[in-house]
Amino acid sequence: MFDWVVKNVGFLKHVPLLPHIFDASLKVISLLYNKNLPDYIDEIENEVRAWPTTTVQAHKFGGIQFNINNREVGHIHSNGLLDILLSREQKALLMQQYPIEDHHVFKNSGWISFWIKTAADKQIAVELLRCSYDLKQGC
Amino acid sequence: MATAPQNETRIVYGILMANLVAIVLVGAGKYLVTYLEGYETGNGSGIFIFSSFIIVPIIMGAISAWYWHPLQLKTRAYIGWSAVSTLIACLASFIFLKEGVICLLIVSPLMLVFTVTGALLARMVYNRKNNTLNSSLVGFVLLVLLADTFSSHKNLQLVSDTLIVNAPIEKVWPHVVEYKPITSKENYWLFKIGMPSPVQSTVDGYEAGAGRKCIFSNGYVFDEKMVVFKPNDELTFDIISQPHDPEIMGHIDIVRGQFILKNNGDGTTTVIGNSWYKLYVFPGWYFNLWSESITRNVHLRVMEHIKILSEQDV
Repeated sequence: MFDWVVKNVGFLKHVPLLPHIFDASLKVISLLYNKNLPDYIDEIENEVRAWPTTTVQAHKFGGIQFNINNREVGHIHSNGLLDILLSREQKALLMQQYPIEDHHVFKNSGWISFWIKTAADKQIAVELLRCSYDLKQGC
Repeated sequence: MATAPQNETRIVYGILMANLVAIVLVGAGKYLVTYLEGYETGNGSGIFIFSSFIIVPIIMGAISAWYWHPLQLKTRAYIGWSAVSTLIACLASFIFLKEGVICLLIVSPLMLVFTVTGALLARMVYNRKNNTLNSSLVGFVLLVLLADTFSSHKNLQLVSDTLIVNAPIEKVWPHVVEYKPITSKENYWLFKIGMPSPVQSTVDGYEAGAGRKCIFSNGYVFDEKMVVFKPNDELTFDIISQPHDPEIMGHIDIVRGQFILKNNGDGTTTVIGNSWYKLYVFPGWYFNLWSESITRNVHLRVMEHIKILSEQDV
């Protein structure tokens, strides 16, 4: 459903509040097929929030976004999709180490996507966000 | 750190205050919009604008989150308590607004999603302690509420269905005008759980201007007046009174019905069933999904019955 919405009615993401309503729907629906997913996302948020100078906000297209010095570290949609922007070189490097994919929309870019489904995925998500955090802190 | 009884108090306060504000907003909005629209819905029930189902639940979620956010609840708890709050809002609507159970069943998923949206967005906003952002969001939500209250709310819809009957037109026509009771099993899930379905139609004359009655399974009767009576061609009727049922009152007015018959030239007949209705509940895109589905299944139940009766006569 998520892919269909993004592909066919993705232009509606610019309507105020609509992405957040869609994301809340994902959160409610996700409870039906993976009741632990909201807990994994909460735990990731608690972990990342504890890193120095990190802030958390609602992502403009739904989900939660982590920032450092006003730069995005990454964001998680409520269906468990983690998106992180890296350089193409960093992306190629991480793709060798982690089971990450091209971004679900911007395939030929530095963006990566990773699906969080299990407790082990949660740990990988934290590591990926930490990579992005360290890279952006160093810039 | 709050203690357990304090936690419970904050959770209950969050639910109660959200529902209290919702009652005031929905009640005021409903009667203000009905007054502004300048037309009667026939029963004083008023019009439910889309804000009643979207903006008000978002505000409800935000109010609940105000009480809940110091407790550091998990997201799962926010969703669970928002569901409880939605359930209480539905119960209050059933008791005080005399809403029907099926209407509430239809509206509850929408309310739950918007209440969760409000609660989770507000939790994030409160945790950031960003007053500029808070003011902007509150301003935006109130602006939408006001704009919706003062904008036009007229929504006339048409649902059309077609069925081929394997009988000549003159065999079909009598069953279009009036038909014997439908005894077949219900197929549509809303009819199965108690929504009234059409059972029989009777007329008190065979000409334009004569009365027609459409009788439903719970005994409800739609009084109709035939305005076009062209044998083997077209039957159009206006609905002059509809039952005072909480599922219908103030939500939808069935305005007109129509059957058009077309001779296919091969011993079969195409039956087209049309219904026009006015919706008084918004957002139209959501409630139209339901009213279109219900109207379509009313059409199909009647048209399939007409098909069986006509084909038996051949």
